[in-house]
Amino acid sequence: MNLLRYYLRKVFAVLKNEVLVLPSRIVVLLFFLSMLLMPLVVDDPYFIRILVLASIFAIFAASWDLLSGFTGQINFGHALFFGVGAYSSAILNMQAGLPHWVTIPLGALVAVAAGLVVGIPCLRLRGTYLALTTLAFPIILLGIVFAFPGLTGGELGISGLTRLSTSRTVTYYIIVCIMLVSCTIMWKVTDSKIGIIFHAIREDELAVKAAGINTILYKLMAFCLSGFFAGIAGGLYAHFMRIAGPSTLEVHMSFQVVIFSVFGGIATIWGPVGAVFILVPLLEFFRLWPEFRTLLFAFVVILILLYMPGGLLPWIRNKVEEECPRCKIRNFAARRVCRVCAAEMR
Amino acid sequence: MKKIRSYWVILLVCALALTVSVPAWAKDTIKIGVIGPMQFVQGKGHWNGAVMAMEEINAAGGVNVGGKKMKIELVQADSNEFLNVTDATNAMELLMTRHKVDFVVGGFRTEAVMAMQDIAMEYKKIFFGAGAAHPELCLRVAQDYDTYKYFFRAAPFNSNYLVRSSFLHLQFVAGILKSQLNIPNMKVAIVAEKAMWADPMVTAAEGVIPKFGMEVAGVWRPSPVATDVTAELSAIQRSGAQVIFTIFSSSVGIPFARQAGELKIPAVQVGINVEAQKDSFWEATQGQGNYIFTMNTYSREVEQNELTAPFVNAYVERFGETPTYTADTYAAIKHSLVTAIEKAGTLNADKLVEVIRDQVVKTPTGVVQYMKDDQGRYLHELTWGPGYLLGLGVQWQDGKMAGVWPNKFKASAEAPEISYTGMVDYIIPPWVAEAYKK
Amino acid sequence: MVFDIVITSLIKGSTYAMLAIGFSLIFGVARIVNIAHTAFYMVAAYCIFYTTTQLGFNPFFAIIAAVALVTLLGLITFKLLIAPIREHEAAVLIATIALAIALQEVMMILFTGDYRSVPALIPGFATIMGVKVFYQQLLTFVSVLVVLGLMWLFLLHTKLGLAIRATAQDREVANLVGMNESQVAMLAMGISVGLAGVTGAVLAPLTIVEPHMWNHPLAMMLAVVVLGGLGSIKGSLYAAFILGTAEALVVFLIPAGAYLKGAVALSIMVFVLLVRPAGLFGVQFEEER
Repeated sequence: MNLLRYYLRKVFAVLKNEVLVLPSRIVVLLFFLSMLLMPLVVDDPYFIRILVLASIFAIFAASWDLLSGFTGQINFGHALFFGVGAYSSAILNMQAGLPHWVTIPLGALVAVAAGLVVGIPCLRLRGTYLALTTLAFPIILLGIVFAFPGLTGGELGISGLTRLSTSRTVTYYIIVCIMLVSCTIMWKVTDSKIGIIFHAIREDELAVKAAGINTILYKLMAFCLSGFFAGIAGGLYAHFMRIAGPSTLEVHMSFQVVIFSVFGGIATIWGPVGAVFILVPLLEFFRLWPEFRTLLFAFVVILILLYMPGGLLPWIRNKVEEECPRCKIRNFAARRVCRVCAAEMR
Repeated sequence: MKKIRSYWVILLVCALALTVSVPAWAKDTIKIGVIGPMQFVQGKGHWNGAVMAMEEINAAGGVNVGGKKMKIELVQADSNEFLNVTDATNAMELLMTRHKVDFVVGGFRTEAVMAMQDIAMEYKKIFFGAGAAHPELCLRVAQDYDTYKYFFRAAPFNSNYLVRSSFLHLQFVAGILKSQLNIPNMKVAIVAEKAMWADPMVTAAEGVIPKFGMEVAGVWRPSPVATDVTAELSAIQRSGAQVIFTIFSSSVGIPFARQAGELKIPAVQVGINVEAQKDSFWEATQGQGNYIFTMNTYSREVEQNELTAPFVNAYVERFGETPTYTADTYAAIKHSLVTAIEKAGTLNADKLVEVIRDQVVKTPTGVVQYMKDDQGRYLHELTWGPGYLLGLGVQWQDGKMAGVWPNKFKASAEAPEISYTGMVDYIIPPWVAEAYKK
Repeated sequence: MVFDIVITSLIKGSTYAMLAIGFSLIFGVARIVNIAHTAFYMVAAYCIFYTTTQLGFNPFFAIIAAVALVTLLGLITFKLLIAPIREHEAAVLIATIALAIALQEVMMILFTGDYRSVPALIPGFATIMGVKVFYQQLLTFVSVLVVLGLMWLFLLHTKLGLAIRATAQDREVANLVGMNESQVAMLAMGISVGLAGVTGAVLAPLTIVEPHMWNHPLAMMLAVVVLGGLGSIKGSLYAAFILGTAEALVVFLIPAGAYLKGAVALSIMVFVLLVRPAGLFGVQFEEER
């Protein structure tokens, strides 16, 4: 009993001293809570569906950010991992009859392999070369998909996959929990030592090499990690839509994830996730003007980028939070003195 | 709290839009969702056909549901399926849960239709597919009847029958070539877009063409969205083919026809070219699509039965173009669905399924009867053949789409001759006639 | 057969070269990856469609009008959209993607998604070595030669050309010696987009005019540019003909695999890059760490 009280008090203390002091942390907390409580409040299958799809794309966008935002290995063919994850889950599910809790992780592992297949040759490429070369991979795979219609179903794709669950609410919780967990893992990874090295590789690869760090290893690790999570997103997508088709590999898919991430602010993980949860519902909202839907979407993206080229969410965050000039700890912008070192904020 | 607020805004606006858009007599209407790529010709066909059906039925007082007259109300949903399959499923979900439609018609890209089919089935709503030709859609019905029984094909008939129709057309055209140009050894080049639905057709064509006493000169598989096929055309000309058997559903049909016409390739085209079914084909090929033959569903001045002319004429007058097969949403609503509702006297989907699967109705394209597979399972597939739906063969003749088949067609030696009204003779392109003149 | 392949690859190659040269120029000078490059090509094609078939312009004037309009559009884009965020590479990338999508949607709203066509500037075809070739295709080939000649004259024999080459070599130093880097970049953008317009003009009669026509050439153009080496006009030219040949070989040697031509061309690009990470004639921008 005492132990329980101790932990409760500790949670309370953390909440009070670490979480509730910063608006961004409050938003994240509220985001977690609202995602978990949503089905209890809203009983609208359409709305739930949008949230589920947004969750899947959130994993996808965050995985792009992990690779391209952090290490600067701009990947223009991220749909490759998504498509590989979706197709391999689908093939394993339909041909081998494996259940979804096996096919999705296996699909993600195949996507990791795809990450290596793409990553190893791409190690020598830099910047724009890498971006434009990676664009080619999903298109090449699309050619292969069409060349083996027996296995892949050609333009029809593979349909009739088993559902994640017969209940909508359970499906929702499976996907949302996977999303929350994987995004947290990705955020933790980038927040760790590995993440610092990723940052450093983007800023100056030569300097990192000179510091005696095996950048090749870290770059491949980024490719694999990113491929893994994108593969999970692909597998979830295939099982949710019950079809894995060529649309998962189209250029549109690759561009979409880049738009999400850059819109939300790269090298943050939470930026792309937030952007997906803004843009996907927004795109649905624009259904009110069906002819202008995509145009409005493009305009929103352009406008935001013109005024906030670093991404929407970091811009907002920088408005409501400020860094302490002395100890570099973030504070709520309205504070006069730093919450940790009590230095004057301005 | 930007995120949460944006949801509430969406919720509010949607709720508002709903309350505004639903008139006071909402409870007395039958809601039909029309889903399709509304920015494109196919989706416009879906919508236009449905609008015509709605207007005609409502003008006549509505649908008699067990003694109560109900009007039809349409809900448009843009599936955007050519670009984004996820969008298509969202649109379907929107129809099901927000608009609470009673029935759905439409759908085009097979990958999207399969995904949308699943959603409609989940809500146990009757879904008439009017665009995708793949047999798989109906095989699902037979294999898992309890789940998929709410799906019916409205148009076109499935790709196996499409190809059988096309073989009849091929024989028809080859016969004319043989008799008028005296070509003893006919060579056929098979050109099919690289797509799954065309694969079995190519195999079938390779097997069947030698049986017709013709030789296969080669198989070409351009991409469905190729814009330059001069390379393929040069190779076909080199192969010495007199007939090109085309299987196109996508945009490649335009450059293929245009460039073949411009290069005066000495071979006639016959088969399926969906782009050539549209009125805009003439302009899209700059008039070079002359003499192209394709299978079709509707053509001006051609009457399959007494229902055809009123529909086609009214459609042309209203929308300024000949209907294509996606406009068969008209027949699906007016003939299949409404007839069944009036007969069953209910909107209950399960009861309606039992009526629709067994009923025989006359539509502007022929007689619709849903068939069973060889094991006697319900397939909800359109029956093909003389007396049912047979399709049409049209040829572009100097800017006009003219019906040329069936013209004195006999299914077998003893069978009665079939001719639709308004048929004209097939014309061999002059440059082809020139090339083979002895 | 051999002549078929040679002629097809020359024509394919010249169309890719036209697009790639423009894209390469703006990348070389200003390091702007303009994904909307082929969208401008689409706009030019629509412009010609509208002026010739709807307004009844002479095709020749239509081309001039289209190129002028597209160039203007490109300059406006640069001024309003790209220049303010040039420092953020990723933002520029997305902004140009969004722009391409916006242009596509505008065309969709103006002209619907129907397939359109444009009459050939010179109708008919010639028979060269037993191979039928459209005059329009020959025109494309000739216009590539003309464009290349003009570019060569401009870059090597004018002061502005010198400025462009200097900026391409080292932006900072060019700025230091008193060149207005942003104006040079704008000029390069104008030329680049103008070239996209010319390509649209000569290619429109050979293709289908529709709002998504920018997608396929985009992938091939990027492949050409990467294969040739980013920013290298010479490289783009060689690469365009290499990939054009690869496509022609696939179509003629494996007719049943004609749909694979894009995938094969892209695979060739990937393999070449494995050997030469900076493309055939590219410069590693090592100094820009």
